[in-house]
Amino acid sequence: MPYVRILGFVTLLLRLVMAAIGPVVAATPIPADHAFQLRAQLDEEEGIELNWIIAPGYYLYRDRIVVTLDGQRVRTVTEKGEPKDDPNFGLVEVYHGNGTATVPAELLPEKGRIIVTYQGCGENTICYPPVSKTVDLVTLLIEEAPAGGGSVPAAVASGGNQSGVAADVATWGPSQASGTATEAGMFSGGLVSTVLAFLGFGLLLSFTPCVFPMIPILSGMLARAGDRLSLTRSFVLSASYVVAMAAAYGTLGIFVAWSGENLQAALQTPWAVLAMSAVFIALALSMFGLYELQLPQSWTAKLAAAAGNKGSVGGAALLGFGSALIVGPCVTPPLAAALVFVAQTGEVARGSLALFALGLGMGLPLIAFGVLGAKVLPRSGAWLARVKHIFGFIFVALAIWMASRALPVALTATAWGAMFIAIGLYLDVPSLLETPRWRSASLARGAVGVLALFYGCVLVIGAALSDYGPLQPLVTAGLVASADAKGADGFQVVSNEADLDKAIELGRQQGRSIMVDFSADWYTECLLMERNIFAQDAVRQRLRGMLLIRADLTHFNASSKNLMQRFAVVGPPTVVFLNPDGSEITDARVVGDIGVSGFLGRLAKVSRA
Amino acid sequence: MLNPITRADFLRLTAMSASLLLIPNLARADDNEITRDMILSDPDAPVAGNPDGDLTIVDFFDYNCPYCKMAAKSLEKIVKTDGNIRLVYKDWPILAETSIVGARLALGAKYQDQYLPVHHALMDIPGYGISQEQMLNAVRKTGVDQPRLDADMATHADDILRLVKRNLNIAEAIGLQGTPGFLVGAYKVNQALNYDGFVRVVADARARAKSSK
Repeated sequence: MPYVRILGFVTLLLRLVMAAIGPVVAATPIPADHAFQLRAQLDEEEGIELNWIIAPGYYLYRDRIVVTLDGQRVRTVTEKGEPKDDPNFGLVEVYHGNGTATVPAELLPEKGRIIVTYQGCGENTICYPPVSKTVDLVTLLIEEAPAGGGSVPAAVASGGNQSGVAADVATWGPSQASGTATEAGMFSGGLVSTVLAFLGFGLLLSFTPCVFPMIPILSGMLARAGDRLSLTRSFVLSASYVVAMAAAYGTLGIFVAWSGENLQAALQTPWAVLAMSAVFIALALSMFGLYELQLPQSWTAKLAAAAGNKGSVGGAALLGFGSALIVGPCVTPPLAAALVFVAQTGEVARGSLALFALGLGMGLPLIAFGVLGAKVLPRSGAWLARVKHIFGFIFVALAIWMASRALPVALTATAWGAMFIAIGLYLDVPSLLETPRWRSASLARGAVGVLALFYGCVLVIGAALSDYGPLQPLVTAGLVASADAKGADGFQVVSNEADLDKAIELGRQQGRSIMVDFSADWYTECLLMERNIFAQDAVRQRLRGMLLIRADLTHFNASSKNLMQRFAVVGPPTVVFLNPDGSEITDARVVGDIGVSGFLGRLAKVSRA
Repeated sequence: MLNPITRADFLRLTAMSASLLLIPNLARADDNEITRDMILSDPDAPVAGNPDGDLTIVDFFDYNCPYCKMAAKSLEKIVKTDGNIRLVYKDWPILAETSIVGARLALGAKYQDQYLPVHHALMDIPGYGISQEQMLNAVRKTGVDQPRLDADMATHADDILRLVKRNLNIAEAIGLQGTPGFLVGAYKVNQALNYDGFVRVVADARARAKSSK
């Protein structure tokens, strides 16, 4: 039943694609200004017409629309709204979609500004405080009204003794508990939770295409084990394969914990990255049938022979140990980060155990594959060639992805484009030559091929115009430029890896150090950090001259996952510092809220680096 | 390996990993910091539920907010059924002029240990745009000592205002857009939830807290 496996594989690919294009919307409401967009129009006869575009699922209260001129309320004509007759709410009229209010011309002077205050809610979710805007009667320019323009918080603030309140807040400051959170703190937790965390991390890693190369190896081994494969047998074989693979990581953990070496820096150098990328190209070429990579097979044959019989547990274990090295390049960034953590603790047993758990987590899906896959083991045929080709394209993609860190942006974009053109040709050329057997299938394939061709061309042309956005090549230049949009606090917000690369490239060109703040809106710690650390004058002063990037992890999707993997960020809040060349200053990394003085300490490390 | 991770799983995984890094100690506070202490243990902020609960929910609400009132029912229910939740009330009067009146009434009643009855009475008035009369009527029915309430509201006017101001600052610091807002453990939820919603967030928050022990 080979088609079962093809189906499974296609489903996986589809889901990966879906994950990329269908981000899960975080339960964060949109800002009031997005929910209610105010426009103003001048009509000589009628007066000023105020119009709100109201986002779906939100509504504006009719009786909360107030217009004032010089502090005096101005009579305003509002159209009838929809009654909201929920017994809980009382009798109110609201606007959905669109709302209009008119200020009669005879009540308005020639010049001046009116203040428009309005208020609304999201259906069943949230109610916003009143929003106040000024509208210039001549230019119709709409601006944020100064504080005190009818907003309730301003009223509260002005009701109190400002300085007194501020002083009071300050006395709330220092708490009794002290101590700084450091990366080593990860290991101050219980051993069990450490191991569990690494196991989970490993599982997460197995969702990357990194484990794909292992599947043919494992299935090849199981196939050679012949027809003696019972469910138990294949479980034992897969399990010993995976445990051995995990042991390889564990051994690595021991060495690193001993040496305390900074492995990550070494692995992030351009040469190492390019070498890894070359390995993937080599793998891809073999998948396309240019040559057979006999080495693993002959190894297994030898291993199996040495172990005395086919598909032995020992052979499987040796193979698993070796496979860890194959997966190595792909998971290097996260793995290296884990190793750095281990290295910093210097605790050999704990470190190696953590990495063993990591490997185990990565291998768990493989065990499932081994057990279930044994029943549907492939007889090789045309479909196998196709699957191998698909793997080939995936390897090429991985190679480009890795090399993109070391290669110029335009070259990377060209490479992506070339790959998609190749995919398009691969899918379309055969169907031009042969008579289609299944009409719908070949039509679909042709359509995908045409799409890939088109996408590839767009990328290549885009690269020529040095306008790079592999995930969003069709957006207009204006939207692409949004990557340069800066937040109010000087941070450039990025939400995908391409934008992050673009920003880092900018830093490289300008020779500036970079700070990347991995942050998520739903995480209280991040918001407190923004306020308690980044907003402090002492910190801001030291950050001057640095390129500030905020990697937004608020929405969980493939982009945010890639962002986190890029610098092996375990979770927000994490702050990563980069040299102008894009390499990380690892000992300055900040995980969690460490207070202003702690943060300044890390900044000192950055300036020494 | 074929299953994509759901958002909930992501939260759990992230929290599981992230919380390991965040030692449950309180970072040192510098001037003008909004500390976790201020959010969770402001001695002036009314507290309900289990004072020794393993999870704290901070409730930011307004007496003119219809959805706060909807969510409050579910919130009280989960605090009751769970039995191990500590609930902190942050009066956050931002919606209308009378919101401040309501906050002052409830926080004033705290000085005679009647915050909760007054709070519930005010939350039980349905809808938005509640008038001062409606609020006073509701408070009268709670059996609170009215002359004492008047006196306390006058004597402690500054304290109450400062507490409200602190609440405003905190809400701004954690980026709340409107009412209601909840902090459930480390998670921020800026919208009304039903009972099931609270159950899910509480479970996620506990999972995070557990993994950091």
